[in-house]
Amino acid sequence: MILDLHTHSIASDDGRAKVENYCQWIARKSLPLDGFVLTEHRQFDDDSDYRSLEDEFGLLILKASEVETEYGHVLVFGVNDDLRARFDFSKIDNSLATVLEESRRCGAVAVPCHPGRPKVGLCAHWEVRGPVEGVVAIETLNGGSREGENEQALQYAEKYGWNRIGGSDSHIVSHIGRYATRFEDELANMEDLVAALTRGRFDAIQPESPRSPG
Amino acid sequence: MNALELKSKFAGYVFDEISVTVKAESLVGYAKACGETQPRFTDPSHPDFQALPNYPTRFHGTRGLPEDFPIDMVRCFDAGKSIQIHAPVRAGDVIEGRSEIADIYEKTGRSGKMLFIVHRMNFYNQRGVHLATVDWRLVQREFD
Repeated sequence: MILDLHTHSIASDDGRAKVENYCQWIARKSLPLDGFVLTEHRQFDDDSDYRSLEDEFGLLILKASEVETEYGHVLVFGVNDDLRARFDFSKIDNSLATVLEESRRCGAVAVPCHPGRPKVGLCAHWEVRGPVEGVVAIETLNGGSREGENEQALQYAEKYGWNRIGGSDSHIVSHIGRYATRFEDELANMEDLVAALTRGRFDAIQPESPRSPG
Repeated sequence: MNALELKSKFAGYVFDEISVTVKAESLVGYAKACGETQPRFTDPSHPDFQALPNYPTRFHGTRGLPEDFPIDMVRCFDAGKSIQIHAPVRAGDVIEGRSEIADIYEKTGRSGKMLFIVHRMNFYNQRGVHLATVDWRLVQREFD
């Protein structure tokens, strides 16, 4: 099962894509995606309900968050009320250690994203501030990365034995699916996704050619 | 001050107002400059003649920020506008535009920390009809 684990909609302050338009794009271009996860900046989007779009387009559409820490940005899958009470999703200087540990304690998974990116990626801060316990996976394929950034992320993943996810980091419709994550198991909801991320049964991929229609 | 403190002090009140009488020539000129060809936007004799929907984005108040707002314009750049249309603007309308700071927040990006200030103008016509809400984002970067 292939999911784009890092996308933004108009719910993010810098997002320009409506979720329905993402679905239409995936269908029109026959992208080899089974779904995507909306990782809105510094918030969890309580209000949006995408179940009707899931039914209409046959896609799995899940909601997560991209939060900010002193080590850069982090995707949080499995956001719940317990976790939201543990730290402020709107702050830009959360402690990475806190985000990782509290996510684990509350049944969620936190994954540093675009780790090779200057200022907002894990790698640069890792060298200066030192290692942090609790990283189990990082985003080694990010669709918004510049030359060398994904490669640096991959080096870190290999060096520290971290699992690898992929995502487009799309803010506009046409960027969805640039990179994705292939899961060995079928996933039906966020609980399944968190379990799969915890077990490590996945890898970052660049999706191949569009699927044949029908 | 951090973003929360700034928001607490400067957001949520009207700090500036303007009043503009909308002329048909202005609506036509704006529509044509945007490449519009539909007669309801370009022909004043059309029964439904009105402004192009993004017309209110061209208005500015007398000031961009409340008095005493701590800002270093050298570090700032425009981060774009968005508009919500509530009702059409018609020729002859006397539009009131009221400015407030709708939101202030911080985020980080490739260039470091940034402070986002959302300047919101609400536009009303002479009958008190709410015509449009225009948000303009100003960003102040943090220099290294």
